[in-house]
Amino acid sequence: MIAQLKAEVLKVRSTRTTLGLFAGMIGLTLLIVVLTGLLTHPDGLTSRHDQRGLFAPGAVALIFSGLAGVLLMTSEYRYGTIRPTFLFTPRRANVLSAKLTAGLLAGLVFGAVSVGLAVGIGSLILSVRGIPTALSGGDFALIVLGGLAGIALLGAFGVGLGAILRNQVAAVIALLAWDFVVNSLLLGLVPSVGRFMPTPAADALMGLKTTHLLAPAAGGLVLLAWTAVLAVAGLVFTLRRDVT
Amino acid sequence: MTAVVAESLTKRFGSVLAVDDLSFTLEPGTITGFLGPNGAGKTTTLRMLLGLAAPTSGRSLVLGKPYAELDHAALSVGAVLEATDFHPGRSGRDHLRTLGRAVGLPDSRADDVLRTVELQKPGKRRVKGYSLGMRQRLGLAGALLGDPELLILDEPANGLDPEGVRWLRDFLRAFASGGRTVLVSSHVLAEVAQTVDQVLIITHGRLVVESSLPQLTSRVGATVRVRTPEPDQLQEALRREHLDVTSDHETLLVRGTDTDRVGEIAFAAGVPVHELLAEGSSLEEIFLELTSEPGS
Repeated sequence: MIAQLKAEVLKVRSTRTTLGLFAGMIGLTLLIVVLTGLLTHPDGLTSRHDQRGLFAPGAVALIFSGLAGVLLMTSEYRYGTIRPTFLFTPRRANVLSAKLTAGLLAGLVFGAVSVGLAVGIGSLILSVRGIPTALSGGDFALIVLGGLAGIALLGAFGVGLGAILRNQVAAVIALLAWDFVVNSLLLGLVPSVGRFMPTPAADALMGLKTTHLLAPAAGGLVLLAWTAVLAVAGLVFTLRRDVT
Repeated sequence: MTAVVAESLTKRFGSVLAVDDLSFTLEPGTITGFLGPNGAGKTTTLRMLLGLAAPTSGRSLVLGKPYAELDHAALSVGAVLEATDFHPGRSGRDHLRTLGRAVGLPDSRADDVLRTVELQKPGKRRVKGYSLGMRQRLGLAGALLGDPELLILDEPANGLDPEGVRWLRDFLRAFASGGRTVLVSSHVLAEVAQTVDQVLIITHGRLVVESSLPQLTSRVGATVRVRTPEPDQLQEALRREHLDVTSDHETLLVRGTDTDRVGEIAFAAGVPVHELLAEGSSLEEIFLELTSEPGS
């Protein structure tokens, strides 16, 4: 199991795919924090709610982490490396659990960097502009820990989705459409259902008190449940289906 | 212990019976050619042997166990199913290192097998820039990583130049001479004819021949092409010897014999011969022979 995890981590490090996503995430996080921090009128940055929004890079890192997970799994099918992978480790459950762990670890790195950047640069901008911090220590803890947990879980979530769909393009489209179309529509039209979707639950976990979201603990549980369901479904499909 | 046992292996895809009640055994130390036209069910059979596909019925044992139940599969069995199973953005060496790590092999093994397949230098480059021949060799390097005692290769000669084919032949010979076992599939008999000890031939998912190579050649016989200005006279002489002759203007095709015999018959009949040629039997011709022969 440890050996398989080492192999999976080396797979992540030995191509530029994850690195590219990582760079994209950093760029987009910086862009959002800097633009929001510098262009918003000081009146719009004084409340707890405003400052949470400035520090929570959630939406960006979540989707990048999910994509990293999807690509981690589906590139094995796209490039056929799944065959040598399963020939070397015929117990497929070992491969999938190592993959899920690798997705979680990649997400943890994504989360640490993006949360660190958002909180660091955001605080810097606030202090430069002379706006006092309205957030408590508890608020910061929720943004940092909730953000890390949520973004890491999205990595494993992506691996599960990829294991179910196998086709890379289909899985990427499914993830993006789910987040940008389905979740947005549900949140707007039927928020009582929308808030139980994976990324809104992750936003809630970070303490983003945007209207209709769940409480942080509930959001965390819902996201954990989604991740578990996709991971188990991915495992069942992986064990049952033939590799062509 | 037998290296490979297939017992009534059967695989059905919907209404298509891809592999139909296939049984065979491979003894250690042998090189077996697994032959058949494209679509005959070779790759499906290999996938079932290697635990990638589940048989509809029947079972297979590799070194005494179902592949997925081997304790250290990659340390006893090496296999290549597709020549292109690499991430294009990963270097050949990193590809081998990821495989090796999964089974606890040191990175130095990756360098060892890269040397074996003569890819030390390109090994550091990304696979994107590899030729098909280099990919074939990298795949083989992956199969050799665990120093296996059984090697299973699907169409390993595809994309190799003649020099590469000869290299592969010598390599497989050396590999098997140490008592290790090779199963190599091909749709071209000529590719493996000089390498293998025995052949399994399948068509439409069924085993049609399981024999040693000399037995197969004698069973099918070669075809002799002979050109003469007196085709009718020679044809009559050959038919008197109960040979199967077909004619096309001045050229006669004689099945199931060799050039010595045809030359002697022509000499005895006093017919001048302008050309006398032994035709290599292609796998397709052998298939025609085998399927037209009732009860084969």
